[in-house]
Amino acid sequence: MNLANRPGSLLVRRLTSTPEFLPFTLVVVLVVVFASLTPNFLSRGNISNLLAFTPELGMIALGMTVLMTSGEFDLSVGSVFGFTPVLMWTLFNEGATSLEVALLISLAVAVLIGFVNGTFVTRLKIPSFLVTLGMMMTIRGTALYTTSGFPQRTWRAESWLMDLVAGSFYIGEFRLYASIFWFLGFALVLGYILTQSKIGNWIQAAGGNPVSARARGVKVGLTKTWLFILTAFMAAYAGITSSIRVAAANPNSGTGYELEVIAMVVIGGTALGGGRGTIIGTVLGVFMLRMMRNGIVLVGVPGLAYNIFIGVTILTMMALQSYLARRHPSGAG
Amino acid sequence: MAADLVRMVGIAKSYGPVTALAGVDFAVYENEIVGLLGDNGAGKSTLIKILSGTVSATSGEIYMRGKKVLIRNTTDAINLGIETIHQDSALVTQLSIARNLFLGREPLIGPPIFNRMDQRTMNEVAGTLLKRIGITKDIPATTPVSYLSGGERQAVSIARALHFDSDLIVLDEPTNNLGVEETQGVLRFMRGARDSGHSLIFIAHNIHHVFQVVDRIVVLRRGKVVADDVDPKSTTIEAVERIITGVPATG
Repeated sequence: MNLANRPGSLLVRRLTSTPEFLPFTLVVVLVVVFASLTPNFLSRGNISNLLAFTPELGMIALGMTVLMTSGEFDLSVGSVFGFTPVLMWTLFNEGATSLEVALLISLAVAVLIGFVNGTFVTRLKIPSFLVTLGMMMTIRGTALYTTSGFPQRTWRAESWLMDLVAGSFYIGEFRLYASIFWFLGFALVLGYILTQSKIGNWIQAAGGNPVSARARGVKVGLTKTWLFILTAFMAAYAGITSSIRVAAANPNSGTGYELEVIAMVVIGGTALGGGRGTIIGTVLGVFMLRMMRNGIVLVGVPGLAYNIFIGVTILTMMALQSYLARRHPSGAG
Repeated sequence: MAADLVRMVGIAKSYGPVTALAGVDFAVYENEIVGLLGDNGAGKSTLIKILSGTVSATSGEIYMRGKKVLIRNTTDAINLGIETIHQDSALVTQLSIARNLFLGREPLIGPPIFNRMDQRTMNEVAGTLLKRIGITKDIPATTPVSYLSGGERQAVSIARALHFDSDLIVLDEPTNNLGVEETQGVLRFMRGARDSGHSLIFIAHNIHHVFQVVDRIVVLRRGKVVADDVDPKSTTIEAVERIITGVPATG
């Protein structure tokens, strides 16, 4: 069948060749399927609930998207997600500082973690898999050891900061959380950087062809180091948001997030090997996986079966994307 | 003879105990195409890498228009007006033609803090350039490079060197893996570049391609210059091949 010669097929081809096409279609399909299986899915309470926890993994995924576009990835995000709130609340609970200062200190520590990751990868030329795997265990170990495994309490705190980061308010009877605005704000800024800015061009070039990017004067190592810092910062901010929402900083929280986040990013259409990334795709990928988790439970499938669905989705998406990529030489520009 | 554009003096390079270049003197004059020939391991690539800043020489000096210059990295070379085009055409295939053309030198628009690329200008300039170098097919400048053929990719690389008005364009095996027609296209771009006032260094294994386009041939053998003023019009390919291999003529 030769699609190219059929009238009107040009639009179809252009549409199907954008990397966001598949995730968008699947999000629509999921909404339709879940909504028809259970009316609760589109209920006010469930949508509000979905919008409360989606931004947390979503913010990590945004950072990871930009990092993966530059050809690297970070396995330590789950640990940073767990550790930084523990650090913040420990500092506050011990009376060492105010909550505001504790927040700044823990974000600064996240920046330092990202810097160490980036330096090891770009200066010592160690693959990001090994560097961030080591960092993942170091940070998680630190979180568990310093707390003896116990969660840090957060309920004594009263601060405008908590409302700003993860507060909620009602529109009519609809409960909305501040974190969704942070998520959308970060998505807009990072989407702008990736598609409109000079740095974005460097990020894509660093992932697409680092040798030739360097030959053009692009500072590949520096660019990647900044992106490791950005990713760690986003993971820390997401962790702090989560600790405020659930009113506890658990040293174990975020375990396994690194792979779920990478799955979201790849399902969204960002290339695992770098050179091509899409923030819109990631937002869709984030919603897709979170909706699946939520919908599966509502429909009555045992929660333990969740990973089966995610795994099958990833495999299906990859197969479809490879099929589309063969029809359109590079996917999309 | 025309004035010096670049003169490399006493360039030596060793990789540990291995000597790649043993005191090479090499010059490119204004407005000429020099063919740099030599067998594998003769030192062509090393010499060019030193000139383009990806490798630093163990000893030796480089002069541009009579002034001593220091080339420590690729940025230095680009700032001096030396553009290198590699055999697999060093483009980022995922990026568009326009984004590749301006990579590393993207024009900005608006307040600097927004770091916003002037994509409209980039696309317009890229479109004009493509026409100027003779790509007549209607290819929008926003097309990813992965959609282009090998010859078109080399054309984009050459267009980049022309646009940024590089004085010296170094082409490292630019005709590798190209078809007959595409090769002719690349050779045509090279003549056009010379005629508009640029100098070029052409490195190729295929001596036939070199003979078609260069003004002068320099031959390297085992890290030394063994001939540096061969006129392709007054010699034969066989004679040059003998210089390259170092085997004297029989009979």
